[in-house]
Amino acid sequence: MTSSNVSRRGLLRTAALGAGTLALGGGLSACGSGSPSSSADALTYWDWYVTQAPWVDKEIDLFEKGHSGVSVKKTTQQNAKYADLVALANRSGNPPDVFMIPQVPSVAEQVAKGWLHPLDEWATPAWQSRFPEGTFLEGANVFDGKVYSAPLKGSGPLYQLYIHHGVFKSAGLTNPDGSVKIPRTWDEVTSAAQTITKKSDGKSYGLGFGNADGIGVLAWWLDLFVRGAGAPGGAPTGAGTGLDYRVGKWTYGTDRSYADFLELFVEWKKRGFFHPNSVSLSDEAARAFFERGKFGMTVGGVWNQPEWTQHKFTDYSLVTLPSPTATPKGFYYADPVGNGSFAAVSAKSKKAHEAFQWLDALTSPAAGRRWVEDLNGVSAYPAGNDPDGIDSKPFAAFVGMTRQVLRGPVPLVRNPELAGVAPGAPKPDISDVVTGVYTGQIKDIQRALSSLADKKYQLLSDAVAAVAKQGKKVSMSDYVFADWDPTKPYTTKKKA
Amino acid sequence: MSLLDTRERRRASPPPPPVAARPGLGRRIRAAKWSYLYLAPMAVLLLAFVIYPIFASFGYTFYHWNGIGEPGDYVGLANFRQILHDGIFWGAVRHTFVYAFVLVPVQLLLALALALVLNNPKLKFALFFRTVYFIPVVTSAAVVGVVIQLMLANFGDSAGSLLAKTGVTDGHIDWLGDPHTALAVIIAIGIWHTLGYNLVYFLAGLQTIPAELYEAAKLDGCGPVQSFFRITIPMLRQVGVVIVVLAFIGSFQVFDLVQVLTGGGPYFATEVVNTYIYHLAFGGSAGAAAQPDIGLASAASFLYGLLLIVFSALQVLALRQISRRRTAAHQ
Amino acid sequence: MSTMSQRPRPRPRLSLRQGRRGLLYLALLGGGLIWLYPFLWALGSSLKSTDGFFSGGLNPIPSEFHWSNYSEAWTQADFSRFFVNTVLFATGTVIVTLLATSMAGYVLARTDFPGKKLWLGLVGVTLFLPHGYTIIPVFDLIQRLHLLNTLWSVVIVQSAGGMVFGTFLFMGYFTTIDRGLEDAARVDGANFHQIFWRIMLPLSGPMLATVGLFACINAWNSFFIPLVFTLSRPELHTLSVGMFNFIGQNSTAWTLVCAGSVITLLPIVLIFIVLQRFFINGLAGAVKQ
Repeated sequence: MTSSNVSRRGLLRTAALGAGTLALGGGLSACGSGSPSSSADALTYWDWYVTQAPWVDKEIDLFEKGHSGVSVKKTTQQNAKYADLVALANRSGNPPDVFMIPQVPSVAEQVAKGWLHPLDEWATPAWQSRFPEGTFLEGANVFDGKVYSAPLKGSGPLYQLYIHHGVFKSAGLTNPDGSVKIPRTWDEVTSAAQTITKKSDGKSYGLGFGNADGIGVLAWWLDLFVRGAGAPGGAPTGAGTGLDYRVGKWTYGTDRSYADFLELFVEWKKRGFFHPNSVSLSDEAARAFFERGKFGMTVGGVWNQPEWTQHKFTDYSLVTLPSPTATPKGFYYADPVGNGSFAAVSAKSKKAHEAFQWLDALTSPAAGRRWVEDLNGVSAYPAGNDPDGIDSKPFAAFVGMTRQVLRGPVPLVRNPELAGVAPGAPKPDISDVVTGVYTGQIKDIQRALSSLADKKYQLLSDAVAAVAKQGKKVSMSDYVFADWDPTKPYTTKKKA
Repeated sequence: MSLLDTRERRRASPPPPPVAARPGLGRRIRAAKWSYLYLAPMAVLLLAFVIYPIFASFGYTFYHWNGIGEPGDYVGLANFRQILHDGIFWGAVRHTFVYAFVLVPVQLLLALALALVLNNPKLKFALFFRTVYFIPVVTSAAVVGVVIQLMLANFGDSAGSLLAKTGVTDGHIDWLGDPHTALAVIIAIGIWHTLGYNLVYFLAGLQTIPAELYEAAKLDGCGPVQSFFRITIPMLRQVGVVIVVLAFIGSFQVFDLVQVLTGGGPYFATEVVNTYIYHLAFGGSAGAAAQPDIGLASAASFLYGLLLIVFSALQVLALRQISRRRTAAHQ
Repeated sequence: MSTMSQRPRPRPRLSLRQGRRGLLYLALLGGGLIWLYPFLWALGSSLKSTDGFFSGGLNPIPSEFHWSNYSEAWTQADFSRFFVNTVLFATGTVIVTLLATSMAGYVLARTDFPGKKLWLGLVGVTLFLPHGYTIIPVFDLIQRLHLLNTLWSVVIVQSAGGMVFGTFLFMGYFTTIDRGLEDAARVDGANFHQIFWRIMLPLSGPMLATVGLFACINAWNSFFIPLVFTLSRPELHTLSVGMFNFIGQNSTAWTLVCAGSVITLLPIVLIFIVLQRFFINGLAGAVKQ
């Protein structure tokens, strides 16, 4: 072949390829650097609310109607990636104007890193006074006297035992008047699970859950069942949470309630009460299975309800704090720290004033009531948590339960300098241990619990020591409230 | 560029030039300027986006850092010590090796057998079957995970209980939820997911064997079995080494499939090294909003890389030893 | 396998062979059915009603066809916009990958230069080190290049990930091409560039198809890179990112999830079917040494 022969064909090819590249280049940069014209003047807002999205969208509509010229552009990010994406967006200097505060890093660090815009310009004492007393808390949503966020949610019992009426009725678990016999103690749960499993001949199981997503579902069971048994720390999954404040320690190994419940839990499994696919089901699949009566009882939070309501499945009840005896010896306690910070205005926002207005709208009493009416949870405003006027009976029951949530000790109230304490999470953590116990991988329950309690205490002491090294006056004794009675409301006093 | 230059160099290079006649380094670099230019795009991309990040992360291994701002809390070798003393890390190493050493032989044998069948020119619809067996490869692990999980959830009600009732299995098995079966199920799905790659590699290798060889063997009176062992196997050896190496490299870095199917659970029963690292770098394994620990993640990653390099070096040494002994025996 | 190189045999044997071949087809077909079962199940489930999904169990055939699942998934997930993005992203990745790896593969296979061995060694080592546990160095780099929140950044980072594999394949392929061809062209007065662009590259068609196909599959399924590098511009997301969000938002609308999976999967399967005849030839060329 001669080179001239080669060249003509080759040239054509190269030219075609070149043209293709150019055209593509045009396309890419049109998409890439093209002006975000329409959204340029919109407020950007990030959240991770998926099931709550209808409520957010409604709020956006109302806000845009009330503030002509301002529009909100919402992006709902995946929960699992949310903290990373917010961190990267801040790293790039282009964060959204308003965003839900990620759970990691601590709010204190977010303030220290200059992510959040102080709101004191707008959050006047008059504005603050619309919230219940104690809402604004140094170290939670106030730093150096400046307000950074405001709450949306109030405190309800985090988890409940859900009871499927259809399954109970077909297993004959009814009272003489035909109503469903609701189990309230550990023994009643055991016998109900046994009856359902026996009578349904493989069609239904007494209990079930969906553990596949790695969201710590099995710790929910432990948390719900041990509180009533008198372990007020429960088993929450957040790092540095779940201490028994009477002693300022984790009591997994010393309080018999933990091992007692886990032994009962294993017995339930051995006797075949659980739906056999529970470990590998996703939480969503488990929710659908419960709806279809594949098991009679499950543990979950109020987030279960919107979907069931949407599917017109409301024939269930919920109980909280099932206990060894009929009277619970421990409760759920209000969380002014976690609920206190919801969303914040970005320090980089060029429309901080409009951004605050949007935050103001989201945390208004009216929006809070709509939050409740849409079955999302309870509002920060007690007046909004009125079961009257809520059609869904199970949800009204949940709203009613907020009255059982007690005020407990809050270390941050006593010593705001604890704000910077950010302990690591041990591995295995409590939800891993419960899983290991359930699958039989952990044989020595007591030892696993004790060593976890020690590890958690060690991590917290290390984190406290790190903060103390920065010259803050903090110590492990800040977590001890020896005079606390877990069955009574408690008012934390400021450290003198 | 002068044509002469290239021609001279091209002529000279294939057999290494005699040492005495070797031109100076500067000259050789200048003579190869177009080579460098052509290599440049690949080199720049690789250096900037693959090699530089690896080195940058090496710096992180000495810090306790949650990935926000710049690392500042220097901890020396503490991260490495912590990883070395973490039983979960070693469990993850063990699971990864089990995964690789079960998956690779089984998958390669299956792929080779299938390739031999599909390579037969008389076989009709070979292209169709090839496509069928390759299709799982083009599917992302995320979609595979979703579909398989949904299937297994339904499995419980149909096939699972059927198996149990007919006495094939002892009671109901939660395939991905039982620590005894979960890793095996993941390996099986792994074999299914990437078998297509090895199938086409083997097919490609088989196509390079000249048909005349088989014809000659036939004339010599060799049966199919004999020609398989005398021609196919020896001719495939070189390709085979590449396929084995690629399969092992891929299996040692298994991640997506495990992450979407079990996330490493139940209770770390299927935790592999890359899910372990991922959980460190992106927060806790169990829904807790745990602080990410980039320093620890980087340290784990480097230790594992080191482990793999040592392992490969040992393998190369062993292979050399074997071939040396073999040549010695032949002499 | 045993049918491979049979000698001609007398008649009765022939029918036996036919029977055996029939069995072989049956086995291949049965195996293929098992192999594709998850896809068939997803396809069938994407057409079921929600109740049918649960009552149907492992049966892939829907009792009635709900085509509306597709239109609902398509509009709800904004797939049309993501589709355009994905096509641009995948095309860009394929072009960048092919240009960079074919040029590099060529000079590594056919020329000698100081530092070549060192470079190959360095590249080899990167195969063993897990990357991707922290995106921060790459993120900072992209930001300094002012490419954040553009499709360009996604293309560049995605292409960089495929460099080693593609280069090795092209290297293998170019080694096998007859040297006489180059020499003849050189005698005709072709220079270095002409030899590569007009002779070697056109000859490597099957390899272009192979590497291009791999790059395309990987780009199509890539999730983390497009998510992170377009984080402030969700309108630049790709299908796989959209699909991920879609799964999150329809966690229990499983028939919709199945429909979405089929939508994201179908184009790449079609691309494979179109390109696959070149694909094996390309690989065959690369491994022939």
